Amino acid sequence: MNEVMTEKAAQNFIDAYESARTVLPGADGWLARRRAAAIEAFAGAGLPHRRLEEWKYTDLRQTLDKAGFAPAPEHKGAVVLPETASASAFSALDRHVLVFVNGRYRADLSKAARLPKGVELRGLADVLTEQWAKDLLERRFDEARQAEQVVDLNTALMSDGMCLRIRKGVKLDKPVHLLFFAADDGASHTRNLVLLEEGAEGTILESHVGEAASFADIVTDVVLGNGARLDHVKLQDESANAVHLATLRGEVGAEARLSSFTLTLGCGVSRGQSFIRFAGEGAEAQVNGAYALRATQHADQFCVVDHAVPRCASNTVFKGVLDGQSEGVFQGKVIVRPDAQKTDGRQMTQALLLSRDAAMNAKPELEIYADDVQCAHGSTVGELSKDALFYLRSRGIPEAEARRLLVLAFLDDVIALAPHEEAREILRGLVSGWFEEASI
Amino acid sequence: MLEIRNLHVTVDGKEILKGIDLDVAAGEVHAIMGPNGSGKSTLSYVLAGREGYEVTEGSILFNGQDLREMGVDERAAAGIFLAFQYPLEIPGVTTMTFLKTALNAQRKARGEEELDAVRFLKLVREKAKPLNVNDEMLKRALNVGYSGGEKKRAEVLQMSLLEPSLAVLDETDSGLDIDALKTVAEGVNAMRSPERSMIVITHYQRLLDYIVPDVVHVLSGGRIVKTGGKELALELEKSGYAAYGADAA
Ligand SMILES: Nc1ncnc2c1ncn2[C@@H]1O[C@H](COP(=O)(O)OP(=O)(O)OP(=O)(O)O)[C@@H](O)[C@H]1O
Ligand SMILES: [Mg+2]
Repeated sequence: MNEVMTEKAAQNFIDAYESARTVLPGADGWLARRRAAAIEAFAGAGLPHRRLEEWKYTDLRQTLDKAGFAPAPEHKGAVVLPETASASAFSALDRHVLVFVNGRYRADLSKAARLPKGVELRGLADVLTEQWAKDLLERRFDEARQAEQVVDLNTALMSDGMCLRIRKGVKLDKPVHLLFFAADDGASHTRNLVLLEEGAEGTILESHVGEAASFADIVTDVVLGNGARLDHVKLQDESANAVHLATLRGEVGAEARLSSFTLTLGCGVSRGQSFIRFAGEGAEAQVNGAYALRATQHADQFCVVDHAVPRCASNTVFKGVLDGQSEGVFQGKVIVRPDAQKTDGRQMTQALLLSRDAAMNAKPELEIYADDVQCAHGSTVGELSKDALFYLRSRGIPEAEARRLLVLAFLDDVIALAPHEEAREILRGLVSGWFEEASI
Repeated sequence: MLEIRNLHVTVDGKEILKGIDLDVAAGEVHAIMGPNGSGKSTLSYVLAGREGYEVTEGSILFNGQDLREMGVDERAAAGIFLAFQYPLEIPGVTTMTFLKTALNAQRKARGEEELDAVRFLKLVREKAKPLNVNDEMLKRALNVGYSGGEKKRAEVLQMSLLEPSLAVLDETDSGLDIDALKTVAEGVNAMRSPERSMIVITHYQRLLDYIVPDVVHVLSGGRIVKTGGKELALELEKSGYAAYGADAA
């Protein structure tokens, strides 16, 4: 009986594919064959569960079985964003904005006109006939194929997404802001494609908000040409009934730099996974994040950085604050291939437990096959220092305020790693606001 | 201002203070001297309300109010300030943010208007200047990377900004060079007033040359074993504590 139950969510996705396959983007071309192969592979593997090492602490299968998400409806009418700081985050910045409602691009709500020459920014359906998009969709990003099951699901069902291509040497004039709003309950599957050619530069801000019981399945594929530079700041603040599954796959060319930062505040269950591979020497990757959780929230960060070539540097820091019965997970791996001499690879995770019932699972790993490398990994779990609290309170600062100051201080150095200065300040404000909600 | 009667205090099951009586009237400066481990810092922590310091007997009244019923931050808002023997380092909180939060929290608790950023900055610069605390120090994380002497000056800056009615200075002179000692003593003296009392804990008579106390106590083995005028400090400097029956606890 258990076996039947555990296949429920997977079957829902397979059914959703069957009923949507003729209307999904690219239904009449090469992509239809890719989708068919993907759903077949997905049907064979099912959803990830805890017996898989990479999913040891997060049972996606069980989570989705329990939630039973149907496909999210297409939302055509007017949209009212929640009146939260997260929903309006980044809105004061000068930016191009692409709005996605229930996972579908809404050109009528977006504002991305007057792009610089050499910048293309479109919805997924519009780029499928182009070779670069096809190349990206068929690319093999992680050789270990750790994201395979999840990416197959996404490939089969992806209905929309943001596609950004910046031509050689072109710099994006202002950030592209992707605002994902879950207006209604249900599952959406989003595929973002990002190609920065040689020497190109750009910034992507991404926010996910909504009060619905939504399942967001997002895969973002990034290819950075030699010397290209991508800054990425993501905010996830969906509802306590929502599930968020985000996969970032990146290939970083010689002397290029990818800097990605995620602030996780929302969702009942969320998993952010990053698979970064260096394709050329002298490249750098920063994959960092902060999270603040309460009640029964569960957030899992999974990060693999593959040093396939020499002289690259990678740094991963995730820091989180856990209140209530919340649970944090960090699993990370730095792989240094035999030829990848002069690698500098670092991973660190730190958690601050604000309650006795909160828990943290951390497993950073190094897999090193070269000898001339500098690698470090570490993990700590602690509580607020009683001495520090006493010191602040002895100056008249009430306990709740003292705790807020210390929590912000704890997260401050990781937020400092977020690449965009104004975005960074916005994230600081959101974390500060999170704490105020907590003390109500 | 402060009335301590037969105060017994236990820390981790061990009795450290064994019956202290101490009266500090408004405007008075009391010095407390005594051997290492005699309980001086313990007394200061009890006044500030630190967790784990259990009053098993006796009473502490501050302006007629029972201190034991007040939380740590309530005591501070009521006017008690402790300059720590070992000020803590707080990474990620700048000294400026800390000072502003503390001052405004106290003002709020007393029903006074909070200071905006501009008025606060003006005030803090005015208070910092005589203590040789510059803007660069204020922008750094609280006490992080401060030298021993800088930490002590920062404590005095906090006191001068918060204007407590009872200040307890726990070895604020230790770790200060000669010039800094003068600077700090001048800062403290500038705050002496008929409404403000001070308890100055020190090992050195030298500080008391600058901050001249009204009363000097010798604390030994958890008790006050001798009380006298400022000349008592001079005697102690010459003869040590042995003459006052001060065997180590
Ligand atoms: N948590 C504790 N458990 C047991 N004993 C403690 C604890 N904290 C302090 N003590 C003891 O209490 C005694 C008094 O310590 P206190 O710090 O008050 O001394 P002091 O007079 O300030 O000394 P000093 O001049 O060295 O600063 C010491 O013997 C110390 O070891
Ligand atoms: Mg002491």
